[in-house]
Amino acid sequence: MSQPPQPLSTETATNRIRLTEVLVGRLARLTFNTNLAEDRFFLILSVFIGLFSGLAVVCFRVAIDWSRIALMGPLPHPSAIRIIGAPSAVGLLVAVLVVHVFPEVRGSGVNQTKAALYIFNGYIPFKNAIGKFLCSSLAIGSGQSLGPEDPSLQIGASLASALGRRLELSREKLRLLAPVGAAAGLAAAFNAPISAVLFVIEEVIGRWSAGILGSVVLSAISSVVVMRWFLGADALFRVPVTAFTHPGELIAYAVLGIAGAFAAVAFSKSIGFFRPRLRAMPRSTQYLQPAIAGFFIGLIGWFGAPQVMGAGYDFIDQAMHDQFGWKFLAILAGLKILATTLSFVSGTPGGMFAPTLFIGAMMGGAVGGIERHFFPLLTVSTGTYALVGMGVLFAAFLRAPMTSVFMVLEVSGNYSIVVPVIVANTVAYVLSRTLQPVPIFDVLTRQDGLVLPSLEEQREEEILRVEDAMKPPVTLILNGAGSVGDAALRTRELREHSFLVQMAPSGWSVIQRELLDRMMKEGKGELTLSSVLPIERLPYLYPDLPLDAALRCVNQSDIIPVVNRADARVLEGIVTREDVLSRYQADSVAD
Amino acid sequence: MNLPAPTLARRTPLVLAALVATTIVGFALVSRLVTRLKANEKQIAFHAFEAGMAAYKGNDPDRALDDFRAALSYDRDNPTYQLSLARALRDTGRLDEAEAYLVHLWEGSPQDSTINLALARLAARRHSVDDALRYYHSAIYGLWPADPDRNRRQTRFELIDFLLQQKAFAQAQAELIGLTEVLPPEAAAHLEVAARFRQAGDLRAALGQYELALRFDQKNSAGWKGAGDAAFQLGHYSSATKYLRKAIELSPEDDTAHQQLATAQLVLKTDPFLRRISDAERNRRLVSAFRLAGDRLIACAAQTKIDLPDVSGRSSRPGSSATVTGNTLPDLWLRWNAAHGSLRKLSSASNADMPDTLMDLVSQIEQQTVQQCGQPTGADLALLLIARDRDGVDQ
Repeated sequence: MSQPPQPLSTETATNRIRLTEVLVGRLARLTFNTNLAEDRFFLILSVFIGLFSGLAVVCFRVAIDWSRIALMGPLPHPSAIRIIGAPSAVGLLVAVLVVHVFPEVRGSGVNQTKAALYIFNGYIPFKNAIGKFLCSSLAIGSGQSLGPEDPSLQIGASLASALGRRLELSREKLRLLAPVGAAAGLAAAFNAPISAVLFVIEEVIGRWSAGILGSVVLSAISSVVVMRWFLGADALFRVPVTAFTHPGELIAYAVLGIAGAFAAVAFSKSIGFFRPRLRAMPRSTQYLQPAIAGFFIGLIGWFGAPQVMGAGYDFIDQAMHDQFGWKFLAILAGLKILATTLSFVSGTPGGMFAPTLFIGAMMGGAVGGIERHFFPLLTVSTGTYALVGMGVLFAAFLRAPMTSVFMVLEVSGNYSIVVPVIVANTVAYVLSRTLQPVPIFDVLTRQDGLVLPSLEEQREEEILRVEDAMKPPVTLILNGAGSVGDAALRTRELREHSFLVQMAPSGWSVIQRELLDRMMKEGKGELTLSSVLPIERLPYLYPDLPLDAALRCVNQSDIIPVVNRADARVLEGIVTREDVLSRYQADSVAD
Repeated sequence: MNLPAPTLARRTPLVLAALVATTIVGFALVSRLVTRLKANEKQIAFHAFEAGMAAYKGNDPDRALDDFRAALSYDRDNPTYQLSLARALRDTGRLDEAEAYLVHLWEGSPQDSTINLALARLAARRHSVDDALRYYHSAIYGLWPADPDRNRRQTRFELIDFLLQQKAFAQAQAELIGLTEVLPPEAAAHLEVAARFRQAGDLRAALGQYELALRFDQKNSAGWKGAGDAAFQLGHYSSATKYLRKAIELSPEDDTAHQQLATAQLVLKTDPFLRRISDAERNRRLVSAFRLAGDRLIACAAQTKIDLPDVSGRSSRPGSSATVTGNTLPDLWLRWNAAHGSLRKLSSASNADMPDTLMDLVSQIEQQTVQQCGQPTGADLALLLIARDRDGVDQ
């Protein structure tokens, strides 16, 4: 039976109030007060960077739309004056802005963000964000063959960098903020957070880093949420119903991969060839280059291919729904390569993401159309080839194979075509690497006089491991429980200077011949080895560890045991400082 | 750890508050900006949509497509524009893209009858009966923005027409039966249903619908004619005569009705198995029919240059022979001659099966001569119809 509640004594009530005050105080400190660790603060900051980048990208998209309506007119068939005049005139204006006010906003922005991370400690001037926003929105809106994704990436990175500097973050964190902002910007522009995260890891950070992954993901998701809040959750394309039914069709997709590799190499080489030559021309020509590029793109548009103007997402959508014949698709792919090369090498700020997808979709559709023409039994629609083609060119041109696969899956929301996508992208990636060893972003970076790390290089880098420098186990292993006298006797005939001692219950130590001799002279031969050796155990290594790990401990002893991962008492071999250094020397000679 | 700065640690709540405040201000400003842009774009989209509708109605679907696409590029989520574009795409044969738009719309509101109807029409264009049935039914039982009863009826009519086109007569009849339950009390609707029942091959139901239509509109000549025709096809010549007379009364210039009425009257005069006629009259009609059939056989043989054998069973042409059990014109001729001698015994009570035997022969002659010499007219046509109806009854 329940007791009726009894009134609290004054002392109990006071104690409870104190306890509550203490708890609330601790909670408040934990939450808001000064004890927020920098890492936690960095995560929270990543969310805000995502929100701000999302807002900035929404504004950027609005600016592009407005400039397109103002420059090209709202109707689907603009007049000749608009279609040729707008990109030419805007090219001139953008050139003036780039030459005099925003010299660092040329090109896509991916390289600049990467350079900020690796060279400038995460510093990207806020002016770059403004310049990129202004120039890119005008250029894309006027019909220059460029996309909004890479500029969004740079705007996000620039915002993040500015915020980090304003908050006086440490140099280490400031450096990491650039990719966090970049992922946010790209995710919002492309409405695909997974692809954005992977792209930033593959192309901006250039290496897998678990430490930053959480922040990058948080910022990407936050920005996508903001973008969808304002502009809706619709995907960029309405993907047709696709399915992979017959394994034999993988051959057709492999052919698509081959075609994609050649298209990517042509695109990449044309940019790599013309860009430095145009930049080397006299400064006065810099004013005219974007205008001339705009003029030629306008001409292409006027003479029957307005699809190549601007980002071209609507036309990718139409290509995916079999709206064009394969011949026209092939022409569009070729013209887009030409138009994008013109826009990009002229120094007009804008991205290569959208043109890459456009070329890939058109080329994919064309290849699919040709294949279906000759092999009518192929069941897949041309639209599916266009979809896979986007990923193919992404893998072959931007050299982001993982991003390319996830991008197609994320955009299509269809996992049934994952096998064709992987097959086509792998073929395209491998062939493209063979034909053009240096990826386009690295080409651009090197043309700018910078050398930055890339994930592709890292993947190809041969990593030296402990097993590469390891020698077979020594013949004599002493037991820690054995006596000094016994050890001296057993080692008398041997030439080695140091001997490994297996300690009980586990661990390793080392004893030198001098110590054994001295102990014998002092009459301490009855003592056990473990009693005369230091308590601290030797560090040990595993065979699969990078050789760098051995460098950290070779100074602690002249012999380092290499043991089995399953049982640390089982000796796999030994390494010495000389072994490690000679292995590195041999490697550098081979290089 | 490399702390950002002691100042940051001290300022954290302030920094967070500032960030939250900035976010709120940012959202407000961007919201205003986007609202303005969207309002502007909606206006542009509406103009493009109107231009598209004008082009669509003006039978310029390609121009309409461009305009609808432009409208959608400014107002992506607008279901009306999407639906219009999907319809234009469907009408220009771009079925895949049309389907992509419609499926997208359908996912948003699967109960919307307009979308389901568009999808049904798309499936119908692809001759996909199962999908069409599914979407048509969803349209019929879904939500209509206005006048749901009429729209549901129209949709079911459309479904029935599609099924008839696909020769899925059983499914069409099932839908028609469903439709009869919801028909409004007006002649036109029953006439439409009756016409489709006839197409589906259910003449009895068709006649019922014509009769219902005539209850609502006694002056509907199409109704009388339809009823007359259905009754005629069913072999109800007496009713057919009644309906056709009424139809001719209302539309005297209708030649078909006149011919059909004449034939029906001839059948009624010729049919020896008509109820409520005397034995003498029946025998007279039998003899008359028998002779008519003989005449038709001789005329047809002459027309097709087939040599008929003499009564002994031998052909006048060398090498030709005939068996008396077959159904060729010479065989029938031999049988006709053999039966001719027994006509005198027709009134005898011991020959009860004889009328049937004679009429069977008449039927076979008429059917065989149709195959050899084409459709008869007049009394021969009446005999052919009587033969057909007897076969139907037998079956």
